[in-house]
Amino acid sequence: MSDFTHIIDSPAQLSAAAERMRQTLMATDLTANTVLDVLANWATALGSPETAEIPGVAFLRLWLRRTTLESIITRELGSRALHAAWIEDGRGRLKAFPIGVVGHWPAGNIEIQPLLSLTCACLGGNASLVRIPSALVNPTRRLMQKLDEADPQRVLAGRVFMAVFDHARLDLQDAMARAVDGAMIWGGKEAVLNVRALPFPHWARLVVFGPRVSVAAVDADTWCDKHERKSWCRRLARDVWQFDQQACSSPQVLFLESRPGISTAEFLQDLKYAFEAESRLHPRQTIHPALTSAICQARASWLLADTANRAIFPATPDWTLLVGRGSAIPKPTQGRTLTVLEVDDLWHPISRFDGNVQALGLAMSNPEQEARLASEAARRGVDRIVKLGRMHLFASPWDGLDLIRPMVRMVRQVPSTE
Amino acid sequence: MEALGERIDRLLAGPPYRTPPEERSRALLDILKDELANACARHPGLHNYVHAWPCDFQCAGRIADLPYLPAAMLKAQPPLSLVDPGAITRTLTSSSTTGQQPSRIALDSPTARRMTRGVVAVAQDFIGSGRRPYLVVDVPDSIRGQQELGARGAAIQGLHPFATEVTYCLNQGPNGELTLEQERLFEFVRTRSHSAVLVYGFTYILWKYLVTPLLAQGITLDLPEIHILHSGGWKRLQDEAVAKPAFNAAVAQVFGCAPDRVIDFYGLVEHVGIIYPDCPLGNKHVPAFGDVIIRDPLTLQPVAAGEQGIVQVCSVLPTSFPGHLLLTEDIASLVANDGCPCGRRGVAFRRIARVPMAELRGCGNIDNRRAP
Repeated sequence: MSDFTHIIDSPAQLSAAAERMRQTLMATDLTANTVLDVLANWATALGSPETAEIPGVAFLRLWLRRTTLESIITRELGSRALHAAWIEDGRGRLKAFPIGVVGHWPAGNIEIQPLLSLTCACLGGNASLVRIPSALVNPTRRLMQKLDEADPQRVLAGRVFMAVFDHARLDLQDAMARAVDGAMIWGGKEAVLNVRALPFPHWARLVVFGPRVSVAAVDADTWCDKHERKSWCRRLARDVWQFDQQACSSPQVLFLESRPGISTAEFLQDLKYAFEAESRLHPRQTIHPALTSAICQARASWLLADTANRAIFPATPDWTLLVGRGSAIPKPTQGRTLTVLEVDDLWHPISRFDGNVQALGLAMSNPEQEARLASEAARRGVDRIVKLGRMHLFASPWDGLDLIRPMVRMVRQVPSTE
Repeated sequence: MEALGERIDRLLAGPPYRTPPEERSRALLDILKDELANACARHPGLHNYVHAWPCDFQCAGRIADLPYLPAAMLKAQPPLSLVDPGAITRTLTSSSTTGQQPSRIALDSPTARRMTRGVVAVAQDFIGSGRRPYLVVDVPDSIRGQQELGARGAAIQGLHPFATEVTYCLNQGPNGELTLEQERLFEFVRTRSHSAVLVYGFTYILWKYLVTPLLAQGITLDLPEIHILHSGGWKRLQDEAVAKPAFNAAVAQVFGCAPDRVIDFYGLVEHVGIIYPDCPLGNKHVPAFGDVIIRDPLTLQPVAAGEQGIVQVCSVLPTSFPGHLLLTEDIASLVANDGCPCGRRGVAFRRIARVPMAELRGCGNIDNRRAP
């Protein structure tokens, strides 16, 4: 039984691991089809009680399904890429080759993110050197144990190395960067800037995801529909709850189109019930005191700042609705704190978006209006416009980028006989 | 009905640590409800906040159910005040780290008077009531502000009622650096050896500018009847790996007294008027005119004895600013709800650390936006 995770103490351990994996890459070709078989087995194994309760595992299992990943490969690399076949391209032919060893720097707040990042590189035939944030060591170890069980032929064993070391060990960060041919970097501003500044080889390809925020918007017809709005409220609550609102795809603010003469009180009551229900279903097991402090401060500063502002919250820090008017995205608090801002027209906030907004979750009753807003949001830098309740669906493209293609080389051969 | 001020004064006049907890809680709860109602009537923002609270404070059966304000809200500019601007006689400011706003505490005369009485009532339970020479390990400029007074100045001035005379033993150089005025210190000691003396300094200043240089020179001052009070937190000493027992032993060695004469106290500018000195067992206690609730960060409910949480401080003393029920950014452990062997009744707790800076995490962390 192998263990993918390794406690690292010296730069030499990282360069040696990368070198071993590079030799494996040279020695054997790996088709996407083979990787898909392993990942499908892994999805099945993750259903066991030891891992089923890890946040995000239900989603990871869906992501690892052959049908999900096959469609992404086909869209990004073409259908023949599944079997590592050449594609005819005019007078020549094209085939995707791995770039080599890909370094992964996942964010420290999402348990399954190291694995999502890892699978993108694996599908391109690459080897992966993954730095595991300290908070994720335990869940990652458990999840990788299931990969070990699901891969008796050890297809991925020589191609994955999970490295555990303190983020402050600059010598190890440097060594990891020097050892890779590409990197997938995820996380907050400071983390991204620090990693991007590491001494990567000049040929290394870097793909950076984050940091960004996401926004929800609901038109008046939708929230005024008493039969439909409860369902929309449940969808919004689910989007807020997943990843404890720390993901770039988490909605931080809901823009609510107002309707003259109709109060939003009943909608807010339904939203409150949806938040209470989600809290009962997925109670918080732990919280950092700093987040509790931030939540309490957000409630107080919102209500002190303007007597027209309202707020709905329980005595616990479990969730918070900050209610007011305005078109600007407020500074996120996270921790299931949703700011609900009434606007006369959804065009007003959306036309003020900038490149910070990753996803726009919409609940609209008018398709033409939805298409108009989606186009404006896209012009303003939004990369994903999705139905409310599906804001976290990790799919290609993400942040406007393909997930597999950036980590492969499209090699073109033109025969000399041509 | 007895006026609010008279009810507060009555609590201040009694012994600070003898009231049974239930009796004290009943008295405090009634006053705090009236103070909250008063604050709501005077500040529309507070009214908005208090009325958004999940339960009506007038129906609360315990202090823990009353709406509390994060202490950081007192960083507002202009300060959150419950009195007319003309009634404010002084504004206290907290120390703040670079780039952060300090808290600004608006005091009117009645509040300032109660603050002084509060500190005296607490301190005399630990050091006795007599007046004595007062040595301040700081520079005189610390209390020079007329309209505004910083945290160090407020702490220094809070102990003035115990002083027959005040001597400052540090100097400030042209670049702001502090140095020990050894001759002034030795002169102070020469004429007061074997008499009662009070010393106060910020913990780190006391350590760095008095204890460390005198220890290095092997000097011991002969002041066995001294009480040394210090406050201001341990973070910088922890950074230098100085633990409390070693600190107490070193301070006692320099002053020539027993280590139990060195008393650390916890206090906040936002909670001025109540200080929390260590009892001989190392616990902090709550006087009759205040309370401390340690809240579980997960539920915000009070923790059980032996558990840690975020500190909420309660005080009936302020009427010029909303400092009655403040959720601090400190972590403490609740030692007991009553029954400390030192004999002081009510909550016994120990401060652990500051809550780390609240920061956004993960890929949803954007703390600045593209310039327009």
